Amino acid sequence: MEPINTDIVVVGAGPGGYAAAFYAADKGKKVILVEQDKRLGGVCLNRGCIPSKAFLHAAKLINEAKESAHRGITFEPPRIELEKLRKWKESILDKLSGGIGAIAQKRGVEVMYGRGYFENSRSLRVETKEGQKFISYDKAIIAVGSKSAMPKSFDLGNPRVMTSREALEVEEIPQDLLVVGGGYIGMELGTVYAALGSRVVVVEALPSILMGADPDLVRPVMKYAQTVFKEVRLNSKVARMATHGRQIKVEFEVNGQTKEEFYDRVLVSVGRVPNCGDLGLENTKVERDDKGFIKVNTKQQTSDPEICAIGDVVGGALLAHKASREARVAVDVIAGEPRAFDSIIPAVVFTEPEVAWAGLTEAEAKEKGIAIEVAKFPWAASGRALTFDHTDGLTKLIIGPETERILGVGIVGHGAGELIAEGVLAIEMGATALDLAESIHPHPTLSETLMEAAEVFYGHSSHLFARRRTE
Amino acid sequence: MDIRLPSLGEGADSGTVVNILVKEGDQVQKDQPILELETEKAVGTIPSSAAGTIQKIRVKVGDKISAGQVILTLDGGPAPEEPTAVPATAPREVTRPTTAPVAAKTIPGIPPPASPSVRKLAAQLGIDLTRVCGSAHGGRITLEDVRAYIEQLQAGGHAKVAKPIERVDFALWGPVTKKPLSSLRKTIARRMGESWSAVPRVTQFDEADITALNELRKKHAGAYEAKGAKLTLTPLAMKAVVATLKKYPIFNSSLDEVTDEIVLKEYYHVGIAVDTEHGLLVPVIRDADKKSVLELSRELEELAANARDRNLSADQMKGGTFTISNQGGIGGGAFTPIVNKPEVAILGMGRGALKAVVSDGKIESRLMLPLALSYDHRVIDGGSAARFMVDLVAAFENFSEADVRI
Repeated sequence: MEPINTDIVVVGAGPGGYAAAFYAADKGKKVILVEQDKRLGGVCLNRGCIPSKAFLHAAKLINEAKESAHRGITFEPPRIELEKLRKWKESILDKLSGGIGAIAQKRGVEVMYGRGYFENSRSLRVETKEGQKFISYDKAIIAVGSKSAMPKSFDLGNPRVMTSREALEVEEIPQDLLVVGGGYIGMELGTVYAALGSRVVVVEALPSILMGADPDLVRPVMKYAQTVFKEVRLNSKVARMATHGRQIKVEFEVNGQTKEEFYDRVLVSVGRVPNCGDLGLENTKVERDDKGFIKVNTKQQTSDPEICAIGDVVGGALLAHKASREARVAVDVIAGEPRAFDSIIPAVVFTEPEVAWAGLTEAEAKEKGIAIEVAKFPWAASGRALTFDHTDGLTKLIIGPETERILGVGIVGHGAGELIAEGVLAIEMGATALDLAESIHPHPTLSETLMEAAEVFYGHSSHLFARRRTE
Repeated sequence: MDIRLPSLGEGADSGTVVNILVKEGDQVQKDQPILELETEKAVGTIPSSAAGTIQKIRVKVGDKISAGQVILTLDGGPAPEEPTAVPATAPREVTRPTTAPVAAKTIPGIPPPASPSVRKLAAQLGIDLTRVCGSAHGGRITLEDVRAYIEQLQAGGHAKVAKPIERVDFALWGPVTKKPLSSLRKTIARRMGESWSAVPRVTQFDEADITALNELRKKHAGAYEAKGAKLTLTPLAMKAVVATLKKYPIFNSSLDEVTDEIVLKEYYHVGIAVDTEHGLLVPVIRDADKKSVLELSRELEELAANARDRNLSADQMKGGTFTISNQGGIGGGAFTPIVNKPEVAILGMGRGALKAVVSDGKIESRLMLPLALSYDHRVIDGGSAARFMVDLVAAFENFSEADVRI
């Protein structure tokens, strides 16, 4: 069979893959985008960022209504029609995915549905509905992403043991839900199910939830979780699980003791693994690290000179926006431009309240022995936070003591995910605390907390609660 | 001795330990922050109420503690005072940008302090931003800084390169005396440095037979002296130079690097390099073409005296179109003067000396003046310089007596 010739083939149409395909097409390349799913957009759009945020919005609505009595507003308990809720979510995904398809068409990117398999370094076989197709390409970009890890001992073949993928289908609202893993996925989905009415227990093997974020940013999340979850169990491990009638029997190990409990459903969110299996990588020179992620340099080049890789499949932060940026770098490099990935990657956790950080964290600075100063502005002093009735926030700046440069920003609180963008810009632009302090931030908004934190650094914030020393 | 949590006031008497800023065995000073406490209202630092060595820390991160509770135990030190309230952070001075910019230290995971667009440009040009000095607050690298760095690389200079100038301790090899650079010396250094790095300079050498001119000078010196003026070679050289400048206007021009234009001047203001004890000064004699040798002699003497007394106004040293540096009074032969930017040429004169010269097949003793014409090769080509020199030599050698006579 005659192979189809193309300049670039992109394997995987998630936020990394479609960004790469579109950018390459914009640069005048002939591009084929291969996707094995029936819908474009990858995990982010179909089973990750977008559906979880839709449900979290619903959860927020439920919680806000519930927590409004002290403002003199009371509602009847909500009636939840799961079927309608799911349909609403699906409608969002259809719209977004359809949009990607339409844009691909306008840009002249050929979308080929089917599983891709590398025959060698210059040729990809695609199993489509119409049969096998062969693509002969100059360069390939692997963007096949990752999937939830499911440890063998938890894999009972029972649909009641879910990963985020199944949990986001919300087949039912279980009475008792166990979330294994207190990372961002577990905490976000735990929040959704708790709002829908489940009794949620989160179990985390480490001493804290949301490892990686600074402890002072995590604290308000933990505090809130303890009020809406039945329990957050730290330093604890699930030893084994077994099907027990319509329930799952779970054995815990807590301080060397074994404990047995029963749950209607279990969500396993203990990390993600790359989708490298059955991709034919062994027919190329692509190398993988000991965790299975594809090894790349800062130019997104793999060990195979014809193949780049981007997104979750190369490890690091498994985030859509990292993948999209890597896509640009890979395409620029393929086009022969000198380019390397040198951006900072913001992280956002959509818990209640939200946590977001970018650049250097306080813990990281301590660990690496980097001299920093930290300026904090607690939201109890923010008028806007009070009107939102969410004063449990904190904005902090990690500042270079000599240069006064903003090296990191951490925010916990309502809308932290939106606010962090200013922090990212500040770090990327090499801004100093003075630049933030001297820029007028509109009142009353939460963005003022960034300006005020910068003012705290110079010792003259208008609203910081700070007592004068008694003379 | 125990350090206890002080009363926090305003109804907040307990809080959660967020961060412990000291460790066991540390020496602490009174009022040194020892931990960060989060209360209902804020996160603040708690100072130590006494000085001493920390024997034991009695709280850990995450503990909820109340006023009066023991935080840590100190060894020795003076008796503790009453716990003080939480102090406000002392205002901090906004640091001024340092005068000598240095390249920023790299921080792992954080890009150099430049915007993404500047970083992209640097990558395309193959420039390592860690070697570029940022001029903006906090050492931020602007597009201008990158431009300046490139210009510097092209000029082969190292003025603003991050690599620090290596200091040498000369006292290692014997006694030395140090004195600060005077402001005049700094100005000279800066101007000479600018000229040296910006002007591709060529020096054209020749000799003028000034036997006749010197006779002429001697002949009329008495008359000048009677009028209170001293007739030296310099005013005569000015006349010869101006006459040649009129033939070659390009030597009386400047290069406008902003507009890429050559500015030809229709006036002849000649700068005269004066050697003073403070350093080199170059007063300017205006409209030298319109003045008699007598007028030039008088003005030259006055300006030179003013220069030695440091009595020159800034205006008297501006606006020159060509410079003459006459070392003849001191001695020495040919040298390579530096163009006095923004002028494009300079004439160096050595000491006239008797030499054996072959003329019409006979060897004669002639008084020969070494001449050195340095010029900006961006503006002036070698052919023009050679022609200028030939005509200048001729002007010296065929000096009209009418111009000297008074």
